[in-house]
Amino acid sequence: MYYFRKVITYLFTIWGAFTLTFFLFRLLPGNPVEAWVATLQRQYSVSSTSIASTADYYKQQFGLNGPLGEQYVRYMYQVFIKGNLGPSFVNYPDPVQVLILRRLPWTIFLLGVSVLLSWFLGIIVGLFAGWFRESRLSSMITNVAIALSQIPAYLIALFLVLFLGYQLGIFPTRGAWDAQYPIGFNLPFILSALKHAILPVTSIVLVSVAGWILTTRSLIVTQLGEDYLNYAEAKGLKPWNIMRRYALRNIMLPQTTGLALTLGAIFNGQLLIELLFVYPGLGDLLNIAINDYDFNTVLGIILISILSVMTASLLIDLALPLIDPRIRTQIQAA
Amino acid sequence: MSNNTKVTTPPAPQQGTVPAPLSQQHALLQIKDTRVWYTTITGEARVVDGVDVTINKNEVFGLAGESGCGKSTLVEGVLRLIKSPGHIKSGHVLFTYPKSVNGEDTTVDLFTMGLNEVRPLRWQHIAYVPQGAMNSLNPVMRIEDQIADAILEHSKTTKAKAMANVRQRLDMVGLPASVAHMYPHELSGGMKQRVTIASAITLRPELLIADEPTTALDVNVQKVILQELLDIRKQLNLTIVYVSHDMAVHAELADRMGIMYAGVMMEVGTTIQIFKDPLHPYTQGLIHSIPDIGKERKRVEGIPGLAPSPLAWPNGCRFHPRCPHVKDICKRVEPPLLEARPGRLVACHIYSELWDKAS
Repeated sequence: MYYFRKVITYLFTIWGAFTLTFFLFRLLPGNPVEAWVATLQRQYSVSSTSIASTADYYKQQFGLNGPLGEQYVRYMYQVFIKGNLGPSFVNYPDPVQVLILRRLPWTIFLLGVSVLLSWFLGIIVGLFAGWFRESRLSSMITNVAIALSQIPAYLIALFLVLFLGYQLGIFPTRGAWDAQYPIGFNLPFILSALKHAILPVTSIVLVSVAGWILTTRSLIVTQLGEDYLNYAEAKGLKPWNIMRRYALRNIMLPQTTGLALTLGAIFNGQLLIELLFVYPGLGDLLNIAINDYDFNTVLGIILISILSVMTASLLIDLALPLIDPRIRTQIQAA
Repeated sequence: MSNNTKVTTPPAPQQGTVPAPLSQQHALLQIKDTRVWYTTITGEARVVDGVDVTINKNEVFGLAGESGCGKSTLVEGVLRLIKSPGHIKSGHVLFTYPKSVNGEDTTVDLFTMGLNEVRPLRWQHIAYVPQGAMNSLNPVMRIEDQIADAILEHSKTTKAKAMANVRQRLDMVGLPASVAHMYPHELSGGMKQRVTIASAITLRPELLIADEPTTALDVNVQKVILQELLDIRKQLNLTIVYVSHDMAVHAELADRMGIMYAGVMMEVGTTIQIFKDPLHPYTQGLIHSIPDIGKERKRVEGIPGLAPSPLAWPNGCRFHPRCPHVKDICKRVEPPLLEARPGRLVACHIYSELWDKAS
């Protein structure tokens, strides 16, 4: 029953979110095909009649003909029944799914590495900062983390590009790999991709690790007041074991949930970071698509985002009973 | 016990080792002039303010007194579990435990030892049943793992042997073996309390300090658990320090009692003496506040006034503002805890005058 309810909520939310985005974008003034046709007309002085038929043809291609309700039904049928996101405008006639799949690995790589790295580092640093909360090092770490967490990642990225990229020239600042290497499973390409990832990853990690440090620290500090920690001390357990088996284990529940949600959100792309480093990920694609009024591509990327966020939270709901015995019992009781 | 004597051998403490005087060979725990204070914004809260008491081997010592008198703080101090802003202001706690290597007893001062030196004594020699069993168990660990981790920390037994030990101890407190696999939230309050008792006796400690273990439970469960505690005490030769504000529980359980008031010990004696012939006016008030079932119905006498604040104890005798027998000297001089009758200690000017005349 628990699982059934979760899956129903999951499907319903996806439908709702997607419908909302569909209509939001159609409400924007202007029409991509008409704008494009108008440019054609100006530049090549094509006759109005042939232009009209061209426009009609492309409107049909992009599903922009007919009343809004009809467009919606047609689009939903194409996407959810046929699994076709439609042709892209920015890269016509490539279908949107092809475009997204080409970009997706880069975003997953860049943000997956950043999220996992900052989660792991943040929990370790936060654990010690919370455990030794009265030490000077701990309050220093906390203050730095508070400051870092408020700085936008793109600002840090700008500094990194300026100093490490241009002035010192240590790391590449544009693209995801050197074009001289063929894409594939070969060492020079992998090394080049890693080298290109250092600056963008660092700028994202520096900001998000601060968030993990702060949440972990505050969770640990509340753990310190728990009776079971005092009792564990009375049992004569070594502080190291109390920290690991009692304090850390109890905070892993909220922190794992947080990780899953953050991982779900990575498909949104770090738009500004990708723009700044000309990184060929989804964020970069979204930017191009919005500029060109490419409804199909924008909706496709948003669908991926909705799907991944929702799937991540569904997975948490399904996995939490495995992590927390208390939730398990509630489900059995229900 | 015979086959695992090696296992329970504590490392020899480096500091604080004092030879026990011959006259105190039967003493297990000697609490001397112990002060545990809390630093607050308004000043030092002198919660435990000069307690002297000796707990003998194999007795159940009941520590009584109303809420806020410092009972729990005293035992937490003895256990070295006081956390900032609380601190041990002064005092000595001499603990005598058998050193299995040469059969001789060792006496250590728990207050001068470092926490790292106290740790090996915990659970092997001094175990603790906490006040709030509800929140004392780790919610994400199975019961058996929580009990076994202390065993494995202190001895070199295998995990399988530790688990067998856990099941045996659970059986001693009347819990089925299936409890071992459960998580704390699956147990009732009484069951959790039994788990903490089972955990405390896994390594056969000499001293068990129980801080209001049954206060949160209903009387029926309370009665059963107290009986189990007495059975266990007989089986394992335990010395128990039992903290409770409930005089009825002490009447049932304790061999000797200490009555605390305002951070100091007011009276010490056997439970029978305390109930039959309370010496201190405060003790008399406590005893008279218990309704006597079966006797003529009359209004229960309480003690007038409120308990004082640890931020500013009254001058002189701390009980004098509420004492029906208050004299001039009570307002100026704090009475020392003196032996008024054989084996009876009392801190009251009524008796110190008697004592002065006798000497």
